[in-house]
Amino acid sequence: MSKSRSSSLSAHAAALSSKSTANQSKFFKTLGEDIWKNKIEKINAELFVMTYGVIVQQLCQDLNNDYIKINENLFSMGYNIGVRLIEDFLARTALPRCPNMTMTSEVISKVAFKIFLNITPQIENWNTNRDSFSIILTENPLTEFVELPQDAMKQLWYSNIICGVLKGALEMVQLDCDVNFMTDVLRGDLTTEIKIKLNKILKDEIPLGED
Amino acid sequence: MGIEAILIINKSGGLIYHRSFTSPQVDPSNPTITSTTKHTLNSNDLLILASTLHSVFAISSQITPKALQLSQSNINYTIPYHPYVGVANPQTTPKNNMPTKYGSFKGDDYFKEPFHNWNKSGLKQLSTDQFTMYIYQTMTGLKFVAISSSVLPSGTGSGENNNNAGANTVNINGSQYNMGSQIADNLLRKVYCVYSDYVMKDPFYSLEMPIKSDLFDDRVKSLIDHLL
Repeated sequence: MSKSRSSSLSAHAAALSSKSTANQSKFFKTLGEDIWKNKIEKINAELFVMTYGVIVQQLCQDLNNDYIKINENLFSMGYNIGVRLIEDFLARTALPRCPNMTMTSEVISKVAFKIFLNITPQIENWNTNRDSFSIILTENPLTEFVELPQDAMKQLWYSNIICGVLKGALEMVQLDCDVNFMTDVLRGDLTTEIKIKLNKILKDEIPLGED
Repeated sequence: MGIEAILIINKSGGLIYHRSFTSPQVDPSNPTITSTTKHTLNSNDLLILASTLHSVFAISSQITPKALQLSQSNINYTIPYHPYVGVANPQTTPKNNMPTKYGSFKGDDYFKEPFHNWNKSGLKQLSTDQFTMYIYQTMTGLKFVAISSSVLPSGTGSGENNNNAGANTVNINGSQYNMGSQIADNLLRKVYCVYSDYVMKDPFYSLEMPIKSDLFDDRVKSLIDHLL
């Protein structure tokens, strides 16, 4: 018993401190899958998708189809979710602070998206400073049954709530980022792409005692 | 390990939750006087305690000797998992007594793996001859504090232990010290899990403000009740 515990302990530590990104990547993948499968309660996907649909539709009504405002509203709703959801994420995973954005991107795609939406988006388009990257949503549960009306196609970012969630959650772990949609298949683009750019690390707000 | 009280301190040092688990014992001969074996703090004292802890926590991370900071690179901050701390053990508890669910956490325990401790150089534990206090800090800067009535064995204290004095005793004390702190970390991470469900997902809770939630209260109580 104690032997198996200590060996799983050292495996856990080794995977996290591992220099090899392949190892790390595999660790996050199994972690995300394990949590999704065994540790988190699920809700009916249709209920979830329709609830979100109703929210967007209601916003359209309330704001007289002012899509710029609707985007802002969705973003701020997402932000408010993100600053709270991060606690759930951290309580569930207890992952250490990421030393760089490469690891952050891995955690976002393989753990965060996996456990909350059961998708694992691709990470692409790194810039040379490696502080900005794109999340390519190959599938997006929110848009399962959605087709945008002609006038919304040019302006509405239907899933903008996701950007807000990411922004809020990252801010709570002291990463000040810009998060926004670049393209969306709903608008006729070939891919759905969210861009995350790190502005700065809020060093003064990192809780003392961490290093 | 008897837990006397749980405190939660927000990232700016304000006390947002306090709960004491000892019921004041009424003296049967004189019911008007409650026997106060331990001093009870009023809410003002508690606020001061919280902000003092917050500051001492921060200072302790600053006074780590330079030499130690340099040689610290290979310290393992992983805390081992202790099974079923604060929850019903399915092997020993009859099925009908099991709580059906732990919020959004599936399975018969909140987590089942060793986990990383974010608190590396801050205050972890504070002890007197009367009590031990454990602190668990999250990545968002939230502090969970448990005050326990169990104390560290003093080792050289009473005469009967003196026969075993020496390396052996130190070892035993060392492991007990670790055990207590590990169990406390396991428990406090579970309080964090409960917090992430019943406080963070309550739409009427405003961030950084005092927690007044009966659901959260009940869940925390159940964690403490299941401790041995």
